[in-house]
This record gives sequence, structure tokens and C-alpha cells, in this order.
Amino acid sequence: MSRAGERAAQAVLFLCALAAVALLLLLTAFFLSSGLPAIREIGWKEFLLGRVWDSADRAAPQFGILPLLLASIYGAAGAAALAVPLGLLTALFLARAAPKGVAACVRQLVRLLAGVPSVVCGLVGMTVLVPFLREWLDLPAGDSLLAAVLVLAVMILPPVVELAEDALAAVPAAYEEASFALGATETETWFQVTLPAAGSGVLAAVALGIGRAVGEAMAVLMVAGNVANMPTLLGSVRLLTTGIAMEFGYAAAGSLRQRALLSIGLVLFVLVVLMNALPHLARRKGGRP
Amino acid sequence: MSEQIILSARGLDFYYGPAQALRSIHLDIPAKKVTALIGPSGCGKSTFLRCLNRMNDLIPGARAEGSLTFHGEEIYQKGRDVAALRRRIGMVFQKPNLFPMSIYDNVAYGPRLHGIRSRSALDETVERSLRAAAIWEEVANRLKRPALGLSGGQQQRLCIARALAVEPEVLLMDEATSALDPISTGRIETLLGTLKDRYTIVLVTHNMRQAARVSSRTAFFLNGEVVERGPTERLFSMPRDRRTEAYLTGCLG
Amino acid sequence: MKRGYAFGFLLLAAVLAACGGRAAGTVNLDGSSAMGETVSVLREAFTEKRPGIRVNCSGSGSGAGIEGALSGVCDIGLSSRALTAEEIARGAEGHLLAWDEIVVAVHPDNPVQTMSAGTLVDIFTGRLRRWSGLGGEDRPIAVYGREAGSGTRDAFEGTLGIAGQCAYTNEYGSTGDVLGNVAGNPNAIGYVSRSAVDETVAVVPLDCLLRRPFLLVTCRDNPLSEAAAAFLEFATGEEGAKYLPLSGVAPAWEGRP
Repeated sequence: MSRAGERAAQAVLFLCALAAVALLLLLTAFFLSSGLPAIREIGWKEFLLGRVWDSADRAAPQFGILPLLLASIYGAAGAAALAVPLGLLTALFLARAAPKGVAACVRQLVRLLAGVPSVVCGLVGMTVLVPFLREWLDLPAGDSLLAAVLVLAVMILPPVVELAEDALAAVPAAYEEASFALGATETETWFQVTLPAAGSGVLAAVALGIGRAVGEAMAVLMVAGNVANMPTLLGSVRLLTTGIAMEFGYAAAGSLRQRALLSIGLVLFVLVVLMNALPHLARRKGGRP
Repeated sequence: MSEQIILSARGLDFYYGPAQALRSIHLDIPAKKVTALIGPSGCGKSTFLRCLNRMNDLIPGARAEGSLTFHGEEIYQKGRDVAALRRRIGMVFQKPNLFPMSIYDNVAYGPRLHGIRSRSALDETVERSLRAAAIWEEVANRLKRPALGLSGGQQQRLCIARALAVEPEVLLMDEATSALDPISTGRIETLLGTLKDRYTIVLVTHNMRQAARVSSRTAFFLNGEVVERGPTERLFSMPRDRRTEAYLTGCLG
Repeated sequence: MKRGYAFGFLLLAAVLAACGGRAAGTVNLDGSSAMGETVSVLREAFTEKRPGIRVNCSGSGSGAGIEGALSGVCDIGLSSRALTAEEIARGAEGHLLAWDEIVVAVHPDNPVQTMSAGTLVDIFTGRLRRWSGLGGEDRPIAVYGREAGSGTRDAFEGTLGIAGQCAYTNEYGSTGDVLGNVAGNPNAIGYVSRSAVDETVAVVPLDCLLRRPFLLVTCRDNPLSEAAAAFLEFATGEEGAKYLPLSGVAPAWEGRP
């Protein structure tokens, strides 16, 4: 390629990268400009810590997102608490313990699971999980935080497995050799050397999983019940995402209600950014060379 | 002087899949001595070393035939507890392979694995091992710091300390100084001099002068066979096989 | 549940409208999902009469429909509740299409036969929690309602005088969701438009009538396209009225209750 062509190609690459950055900046600017005014108007404390979300009341609407925020946090944390151990062990199995053929097969299945659209996960949750919980626990409906946690756990399992497996595969064989040479068995080595050595990568997997869980709307909408209660495990809950999804169509353009929903968007955005930043911060603190 | 034979190979063959790496090895390793294995690259000396603690098991398709005994018991016997074997036969690798943990945790890894939980017992083992590996003075005040922050030579001595912490009888060293500078190498050679009274040491090296300096016995490997073995001094001064002579004088390998 | 899609669709519609100018042969409707059945009956009849005109309809809820009509995102909004003073002040005009009855539906296996308004209030405010109190099986009652802002919810709660006091087990984003979930849960009770009811649920006879208007909403300040005006005239005229009973609603000229 000619020099000019070379330069042009590089310029195109640079512009594309710039576009991605610009999009993110635009998005950030959008959320800040659309989300902050309503929070100021409502009051930070009332908005973040208010326990009642009743945005449709025309006379005295209340915009407390604490029930939604807590439901989102509990939902994501619960899903991670289930999916992370399961995902790590699956990743360990795939990266180390499984015979090649079995690993390839399981890996394909996990990928297939990853490809299941969230609405289908929701559908299965709705038609199988929710009735099961209802009959089993004698609940009125079965739509609950628990159902949301279970569905989310299934949904975040594949990315957790995939990222964790990458992290485990990147652990130098020399570490494991050293451990074997000290008289460690395979399981001892995997749990005490391989997993800790994969540390930051595993943390990234966890953060990604939590981030996904926080951001998921569709499937949760179908199994959570969607009442803005203060969350209880077996009760109907509304999450930040489902709160937006449920109400946006009813909120008059420019009304405080619509702007409050955009503020929820801002809170979600901040949560997801925090989740993404977590592994980087942890790595810096860990001080590993 | 009668010497006790701790490791003994009798007609040992070793294969990586279809490729034969060792041919009918006959070799005795005396206890509490330094034995050097020399020879050109690919001659089988490292393979032999890795048979002794069965590290070759990690390679798919590897298999051994013939007899290889440790205290008279077959190393490759079916159902042999390999982890227990490796605990008694420690190993130091060519490149330092410390865990990404603190200095303390690296040394305490083995003892913890084998059930030592008491804080004071661990502290004592860690200090004793670090002293034995002649690195205590350098790291005593930073045991909680990451081990990977040490220099290459320090890392290798820490690897030795880590191996000693499980109190093995045999220490295998696979070109343990080849990645180090001459000063660090010198330190480790001095260290070997202090360790040989308590441990049986088997050393693979490319460095002929190192073999001459630290070992009392030497075996010369070539093309998967032991060409010549004997007391180091004799083998280096009066090699009986002309291939040994050629190698020692630099005409081979 | 459909909200996200509907919003995306609206955006798309807005973009298309902006790019191509409003095609003379298209009418875009958006709003109350409860009106979906009624509108689809009308649409079918209208399309037969005027095959050149396409009628698109999405159900984003009454509030969104009114907003859509005001902002011009859609041609005609669908509202299943009366307009508020504020909406009227901003230029919204409601054209009464029909009167809809809100009915209370339960699972077909539910043995409960009839219900009084008082019982309904007790159930929906959470004072009555098990079906056994009503002669049914010993099962908890799942109270299904619509999300805040739904025309159906406003009308239901408003008529019973329990606005804002309901203790819902679950809230759903559309009439179809309520219907489907009642059909799938033997514990459930929920309110839906009469026009939407099918054989998958059982309607509980009440001792009172829960009615609300179906409105087609336009904006004073946005002149209707020729196609939209034709649809409005058809739907609210005598022709449209012939088709309304097909969807189970009463034509506007039957008068206010």
C-alpha cells in the first residue's frame, strides 16, 4: 500500500475509535443532563432513600427509588451469589478437569445458553419457574425477587463461565507445575493456585455478571411481579430497569415523572460503570507487577 | 566408604508417545550427595530427572518401562501416591516459578497443603526454610510483600526455600541456575554446598564447571542413554568413553 | 413488557415520518392496550372500505397515546380514560368512540361464582387474602393489576373508590399480560376490558357496573391528515358503530351510564 493509503487507513481506524469514545461521552452527557435536574428537584435524599415510588399520583407524586434500587442490588447480588460459584467451578472443569471432547461439548452448550434471548429466559421463568414457586411455597403468584434472582443467575452464568475460563487459561502452567512438585494434588492445585492466580480475571467475570444482572430488564419484567414494594425474597418487586420499562410510555414528555425515569437511567448507568471499573481498581490496589 | 543408594534406575525406558526419550538407563543416585546429570540438549537428562518425581505424568502420552526405585519401591508402580512421592522428592525448575502470593505464603504453601495449620509452626517452618536457602536476611522484613517483586536470583533461592519447607529427602534441580547471572549462580552453588549434608541433590546442568564444582558424582547422557557415570573428579579428569571426552572438550553438543 | 418495543417503534415511526413526510395513505394509532381489540375490529372494516390506507396500531398505554397525539408522533391517540384538565389545556381533544366495561376475571377452575363490590374492594386492598374466605379452595389470592398510569387501572380504582389503595401482588404493562397471567394462575384475580376477554379466563359476575370511555384523541394544533380524518370519521360514525359490538363494547350513542 502507498504511504498515503497507509496514512488514510490509520486515520480511518483512529476515527472509528474516536467515534466509540464520542458515543460514550455523548451518552454520559445525556444521562447527566437529563437525569440530574429531576434529582435536584426531587432532592437527593428523597430520590435515593425515599421508600415510596408513586409517580402516577397526579396530586402528590412520590419519587423514592429505594425499593427499586434495593431490588436491583439484591437481584444482581443474589444472581451473582448463585452464578459465580457455579460459573467458576464450571470454568475450572472446562479449563482443567474435563477431557477435551467433553469440554468442547460443554463449552458449546454454555455458548448456546448465552445465545438464548432474554425474553425466552423470561418466558421459561414465567411458565415453569413462577408456577413452581407458587405451588411449592403456597404463594399467591410466585412472581418474586427469588424468581428474578434465579432467572438472572441463569442468564449471567454463560458470560461468567466464559470470562473465568479465559482467566484460568491465562494462568501460567509453571504455577501449577510448582504446586504439583510440592506434592499438591490436582484439586488442591486448582483451588489454591490456579483460581487465586486468575484473580483479576475472575473478578472481571464477577463484575461483568453483576453488571449484566443489574442491566437486564426483559426477563425480569416477566417474573418479578413489578410492584414497587420494599423488596422481600418471596414478594413482588420492581427493579430499576423494569421501573423504567413499565412506566416510560405513561410519562408525559418533559414531565417530572418522565425526567425522574431518566434519573433512574442515570442511576443504572452509574451502577454499571462502577461494576465495570471495579476489576481495574482492584487490580491497581492488588499491586501485582 | 559405603554409600547408601536412594534412587536406582534399572533398564529404564521412557517414551513420549511413539518417541523414545530414554533407553535402558542404569543409574544409582547415592543419598546425601550431589549428583550431576550432564549432556547436550535433548539428551534425556531432564526427562530422567522428571521421572524421579513423576513430573512427566503431566505430559499426555508419556510412559515409563523398566525399573525405577526410591528406597527400593517402584516409583511407577500402579496406585502409587504421586503427591506423597513428590512431597519426599522436591524440585526446583529452570525458571523461578513462584506463586503470585506473598513471600511468606509461597514458603508456607507446601506445609499448609500437608496439614500444618498452627501459626507458630508455620512461622517456624518458613523461617527455617528461608535460612536454609540463605535468603532469610534479605526478606525477613518483607515477608508479606509479593514474591514476584524479588530479583531473579532471590526468586530462585525462594523457590529452593519453598521446596525445602515440605522437608523432602531429595531435591531435584533442573538447570536451576541457567537463567541467572554469575553472582546469583555463585550464591546458589554455595548454598548447595551447605545443603548436601542433609539432602540428596540431583542436578541437571549445562554448565560443566558447575557440575565439577558442586557434585560428587556425575552421569553423562547422550541420545537418551547414560554413556558414562562415576565420581565427578574421575569422570572429568579421565573420561573412559571417547564420547564423554569429546563432550567435555567441547567437540560434541 | 411491550413498553420498550413500543417506544422503539415510536422512535422509528417518528424517524420515518420525518424522512418521508407523512404518507397520505397511512394512519398511525397508539395508546391504550385495552382498546387493541376494538381498534383492530374497526381497522379491519376500515381497510376493507378504503384499501389504499394503511392503519398502524401500537399499544403503549393511554398516557403515551395522548402524549403521542399531542406531540404528533402518532396521528390519533387511544385513551381508555377521560382526558385530564391539563391534557385538554394542552390541546388534546377526545372523540368518544365507545363505552367499555371493565370486568373482573379469574382462572376458569376457580369455583367462586359471584362477587359484590364490597368483596372486590376487600380483595384489591388486601383485606381478604385467601380464596377460602369466599368459598373457594384454600389458596392465597393473587391480585393482578395494571401499572400506574393505565387507563384501565384508573377507571377500575376510580369507580370502586380505592384509587392508590390497592395492594397488588403483580402489576402488568398491558391488558394482554393481565389476561394471560390470570389464565395461568389458579390463585389470580384481575381486571381487564370486556372487549379483551376470551375463553381462557372466567368472568366473575358483579353487582355493579365498571365502565369507562374509549376515546380517540387528536390535537387541536396538529391538523389531521386526510387518511387520519377519514379513519376518525369512520370510527366515530354510524358505520363504525355497527362493528363495535363485535369487540364487546357498547357504541357511544348508548349514552353515559
